Amino acid sequence: MKKEESKILDKIGKESGFTVPENFFASFNAKLSSSLPDVKITEEEKPTLWVRIRPFVYMAAMFAGIWVMMNIFTLGKKSSASIEQKEAQIPNGLLVPQNTEDFMDYEGYSEYDLLYEDSIYMETEGVNDD
Amino acid sequence: MAARVKYNEEEIIEQLHKQDTCREAFGRVIEHYSEQLYWHIRRMVIDHDDANDVLQNTFIKAWTNIDNFRGDAKLSTWLYKIAINESITFINKKKVQNNISLDDDDSFLVNNLEADKYFDGDEAQLKLQRAIATLPDKQRLVFNMRYYDEMKYEDMSEILGTSVGALKASYHHAIKKVESFFENND
Repeated sequence: MKKEESKILDKIGKESGFTVPENFFASFNAKLSSSLPDVKITEEEKPTLWVRIRPFVYMAAMFAGIWVMMNIFTLGKKSSASIEQKEAQIPNGLLVPQNTEDFMDYEGYSEYDLLYEDSIYMETEGVNDD
Repeated sequence: MAARVKYNEEEIIEQLHKQDTCREAFGRVIEHYSEQLYWHIRRMVIDHDDANDVLQNTFIKAWTNIDNFRGDAKLSTWLYKIAINESITFINKKKVQNNISLDDDDSFLVNNLEADKYFDGDEAQLKLQRAIATLPDKQRLVFNMRYYDEMKYEDMSEILGTSVGALKASYHHAIKKVESFFENND
């Protein structure tokens, strides 16, 4: 700090030359303290038990939610796995057509049904009308 | 004689926020800070009676707003800020009363300093006050806080909301201006 100052300031010193009346500060303090107006202080309320434990309850609820969600997903996976296991136990013949003709016949029958069912019906109706 | 209770700021702040202890605690705040704030204000407004009024206003303002002081900053920083605002408001009001432009310096404050019964400085001290009065308000504050109060730049930075670097520059400029005032007014 010293190097910042000048020779002029060094010569004058830190005394400003200002003075105060005798006992000024003591009487000022006493006078002001006794004449302070009334003020209302809003005291900070002590937090209730619920307010204090609330964050922990919320956190516990969050973890419980995550646990439930994880369980639901794990159960879903388990059940789909068991279906696959059960399917594996079914004899192949029941799931896959044994020969192509069966399938073709079945398909042919469907097509026949769809294409000619009405005409057969109409023919039948026509016979009855006669 | 009653034993003087040691001033503990943390304890005082706690007491200030309780209805039944705040008045007594603020009394201790006045006792602790009145002198240092008075000198700070006095160097700004120059006249003793004016400094007395501004100091009273400072404490009254602090007291009526005590509920807003939550202890985030130091009590001294908060009080200094109020004192500075009150001093500058007072000087501006006085300028208006005396038909002086708000942009002009505060030289008018030291016009009657030699006649002031609460000034017993010598010629050099009077001249220094005249030189300081020519500085802009902010430079005047920085000069007074650094030169007379020997306040740390870090504390000044908190009070004035200016960086330490800017404060150092401001103080340096203030000294140069004071020196040139002395050279030009020999």
